[in-house]
Amino acid sequence: MNESTGDIDAQFYATQLGVYDEMLAKEHKVLPYWQRFMDAIATLGSEQLELRRREAQRLLRENGVTYNVYGDAQKLTRPWRLDPVPLLISSEDWSLIEAGLKQRAELLNLILKDIYGKQQLLKKGLLPSELVLAHDGFLHPCVGALPHLQRQLIVYSANLARGHNGRMLVLDDRSQAPSGAGYALENRTVMARVLPDIFRETQVHRLSGFFKALRKGLADISPHNKEDPRIVILTPGSLNETYFEHAYLSSYLGFSLVQGDDLTVRDGRVWLKSLDGLQPVDVILRRVDDSFCDPLELRSASRLGVAGLLEAVRRNNVAIANPLGSSVLENPGLLAFLPRLSRYFLNQELMLPSVATWWCGQRRERDFVLQNLDRLVIKPINRSSGSYVLFGGLLSTREKELLRAAIIAKPHCYVGQEHISFSTVPSFIDHHIEPRFAVIRSFAVAGGDDYQVMPGGLTRIARQQDDFIVSNQAGGISKDTWVLADEPDKQVSLWFQPGRDVVLSADTEPLTSRAANNLFWVGRYLERIKAATRLMRTILLKLAEAPELNDPLDSRCLDVLLSALTQVTGTYPGFVASNASALKEPQNELLALAKNVQRSGTLAANIQAFAQTAFSIRDVWSQDTWRCVDNIQRRWQQRVVNGDCDPEQLQKHLDDLITGFVAFIGLTTESMTREAGWLMLDSGRRLEHALALIALLRATVVQRHEPALQNQLLEAVLISTDSLSIYRRRYRSFIKLPMVLELLLMDKTHPRSLAYQLHQLSDHIGALPRERGKGQLSEEERLILRAYTDLRLVKVSELVNVTDNVGVYSELESVLSAMTELLWRLYEVLAQAYFSHSQVPQLMTPTQPEDDL
Amino acid sequence: MKYRITHSTLYKYSQLVGLCQNEARLQPRDFWRQQCQSSRFDISPEPNDFHERRDFFGNRVAYFAIQQAHQRLVVTAVSEVTIFPRQSRDDLVNLITWEQVRDQLQGGPGQSQMQSQSQSQYQQQNHYDELLDAKLFLLDSPMVITSAELANYAQSSFLPNRPLVQVVTDLMQRIHVDFTYDPSSTTIATPLSDVLQFRRGVCQDFAHLAIGCLRSLGIAARYVSGYVETQPMPGKQRLVGADASHAWFAVYVPGTGWLEFDPTNNAVPFDQHITLAWGRDYTDVTPLKGIAFGGGRHTLSVSVDVLRLE
Repeated sequence: MNESTGDIDAQFYATQLGVYDEMLAKEHKVLPYWQRFMDAIATLGSEQLELRRREAQRLLRENGVTYNVYGDAQKLTRPWRLDPVPLLISSEDWSLIEAGLKQRAELLNLILKDIYGKQQLLKKGLLPSELVLAHDGFLHPCVGALPHLQRQLIVYSANLARGHNGRMLVLDDRSQAPSGAGYALENRTVMARVLPDIFRETQVHRLSGFFKALRKGLADISPHNKEDPRIVILTPGSLNETYFEHAYLSSYLGFSLVQGDDLTVRDGRVWLKSLDGLQPVDVILRRVDDSFCDPLELRSASRLGVAGLLEAVRRNNVAIANPLGSSVLENPGLLAFLPRLSRYFLNQELMLPSVATWWCGQRRERDFVLQNLDRLVIKPINRSSGSYVLFGGLLSTREKELLRAAIIAKPHCYVGQEHISFSTVPSFIDHHIEPRFAVIRSFAVAGGDDYQVMPGGLTRIARQQDDFIVSNQAGGISKDTWVLADEPDKQVSLWFQPGRDVVLSADTEPLTSRAANNLFWVGRYLERIKAATRLMRTILLKLAEAPELNDPLDSRCLDVLLSALTQVTGTYPGFVASNASALKEPQNELLALAKNVQRSGTLAANIQAFAQTAFSIRDVWSQDTWRCVDNIQRRWQQRVVNGDCDPEQLQKHLDDLITGFVAFIGLTTESMTREAGWLMLDSGRRLEHALALIALLRATVVQRHEPALQNQLLEAVLISTDSLSIYRRRYRSFIKLPMVLELLLMDKTHPRSLAYQLHQLSDHIGALPRERGKGQLSEEERLILRAYTDLRLVKVSELVNVTDNVGVYSELESVLSAMTELLWRLYEVLAQAYFSHSQVPQLMTPTQPEDDL
Repeated sequence: MKYRITHSTLYKYSQLVGLCQNEARLQPRDFWRQQCQSSRFDISPEPNDFHERRDFFGNRVAYFAIQQAHQRLVVTAVSEVTIFPRQSRDDLVNLITWEQVRDQLQGGPGQSQMQSQSQSQYQQQNHYDELLDAKLFLLDSPMVITSAELANYAQSSFLPNRPLVQVVTDLMQRIHVDFTYDPSSTTIATPLSDVLQFRRGVCQDFAHLAIGCLRSLGIAARYVSGYVETQPMPGKQRLVGADASHAWFAVYVPGTGWLEFDPTNNAVPFDQHITLAWGRDYTDVTPLKGIAFGGGRHTLSVSVDVLRLE
């Protein structure tokens, strides 16, 4: 071992006095399994470990692992941070934790069942009624609405930490829509890639078994079609802090990712609105908080839920994991009563104790809390009530008085908790191994007669040495959690294995109307960006060739192209402003069109819209495709929007941008099956491509110009449409308007032509799912047929006929403008037929008070 | 006393509604001073899905969905109800003090001070269950959040050792005198603090106000939605459909049960108040609410007719 690697050796590890450390444990000696791991990373050395850490960061970043931070003005997603040093837990240690978690899940399940069922706990005084009834998670419409299942609590999660005496404690229980399991899985995947040798040599329990159990657990609660239930993940949408995980789990588990808008309740059943019509839904794994799930019976202002959902639950037509109302268990006041309830229900002592908690709804406990404010952590039982966790010792005298008054006014709404010092765990920080406080989130899922616990979990550490706030919102770092096995674990395949050699019908998950709409717009943004990029590139080239613009011809050609850019991108006034100052110094406006995110129609704004739209359907993209989207957006952001870039560099970035999009198109063309999703993406592209081409022609060649200028413009148009070489090959002659129009409008074999776009669009529309009338064309089929036929009937020679002295090719203009109108109409009809989820729900309660007497 | 109540709500939309889901609490519930003989809905267009159930508070709820396109929705409920003029005058001379009631509500089962040796175990359990039910109505609810201001307003009614019934009667009278009935002053969403500050409101506000005052001092109170019979002005003909929904409140008196008070009319409901439903506040008993998909703008008109049959 050389000197430079010595600094990450265990012997340099300086823990704090009186704090339990995971590596040193009670005897303050490095535990043997930690020693093996530390030796292995010491052999790697600090520099190598740093490289591995960066590699992990890169993989996470490219896989799109993010954590959205609420309140972030720029809607930026925060990259997920992973420490290359995992938390190691021995197999003996883990078996205690596992048993404790199972017991706790069982206990909470029984409490949940009772609260929404017979309420014996309240009637017998085992739980004070105001503790339960005053909690926001208690939803009285859900009483009596639990399905008759062996277990109600399907997924369970707990935050664990070790106290100073080395005993594992539960800090809080998560019962409504626990997050983190997907992050744990992704952490594991990345760790196995960046530390493959160490991972292989350490016998680590695998995680896939848990996800298999999750899938089975969810299928088991289905009220119908237990063999092959349709399971969906209900997400609040791409702005949610853990949206990455929703998309990740949906692709990993093969469930549709839906938002409230994607579902509807009819005939007391839940249906998925898809391109193929309504599809029944059997099970919902929800990531929407329960009170937001049904605007009819619960929080009426919610736009995240499904009206009538609770009614469908009541009729046992859908199962929800966890059931609506289960957040009633996320009440810190309950912690004080769990030991008693464990004896009552299970006749057992609680194996995993909770952090010491005093519920102020009882006089003695309240007085204790008030007398010990300085030493305690104070929490309201309701997380939504504005105030949050308060450390009594950090409050000013005035704040303390306010808190005291608040507790006295509504004592049942507060708890005091012991301020425990967590254990520390070795972490790789700034090239050194340092101790950090750690919290472990663990997961369990109901199945059969028991709960199955994930052997591992999501460990999070604070960034700063003395920081107790361990959360992702506060910018914490995550760790993989390695539960050591006595013998190597077998990899469990997640895939469902049919018992016999049956061939399952290859049904893909239906495409939701929302996803269809987003795919269509990803396609539109893409072509919009490509058209603007190519035209801008042509302009920059012209500027570079003739910087002085001595030749008036060059100058006039440039003016036309610049104003065409404004028209194609719709960024008025831009270069068509009445005072033509922008034309004299075009650089500033050109840079603004590249950089300005705030202004609509600019490249920067469209790239952002492209990436955000793609992100909102993150689950439909392959890993590679997403990496491509991310690269496009990130590079543009770094190099152009935030970078200091001059027109010359811009030229290069535009080239890269085109290459990025070509890669995206190639990947989607190769990896997407030719089903509704691809049809939508490509239809969006074709429609926008057609519109952009028409806009370009109308802005450049409809106007009649002298031959020399027209020639220059036609050449620029051919370059901007990536058609110059094919023109040369085909016509081997001078550039003439009729031939250019022939190529760009009429040539079905040229992939940049209008005819090609309409032909493709016509095929796609014909292939979209619809209710077939007998021989009747749908409105969208009728429109595209009309557009395509109108184009085919055009005679190019007539387009360029000059009949009067108006200075424009009026026939060309009228054909192009009629085409634009048809295409716009086509979009409206498509939206109506396929994206109609956009019907806005409205509340029909009276807004005026009841009249009275 | 027997009544027929016709409560009709008409929604008109500027555009088509493709789907709407609704919950109606328009059917009178039964309890000791009221029995509902019949109650039927007439809904147009006819719902595709219609289900009746009882809610958490025991109120009758009808869920219905209309799944075909419509631009007009009419929901009419016609009910026949008998009111027994039984609210005992004895109840109003009940002497249990408000402090005693407060302390009983604070104790959990087994800690009740009402345990009399002569009570059987069954009676005791019954008493616990009743107290337990009442405790829900001590807590804050979406539209009634207890506060120091409410307690402050209530204080002068809460004289030491005053019987609870007298306290509430006094509070009802004060609200009737101190507050102006003014339908233009508030909407459904007006917070209680505004009502208290501006001293104006309608029946809902006054009921919420009284409930907030009582809960702020540890007394359980609930919100009652229903109707009240109106007499035509002398010499005028009775106008069909000119009646309206009404709201008042009830207070829990241990050993006696829930006593009702109407602060808007400064009256104790006897045989002219017809009850639809009760809950913690208006949000629990909204007579008709729904979610419509599409529809553009909508207008709403309500007519209520309370007809005395015998």
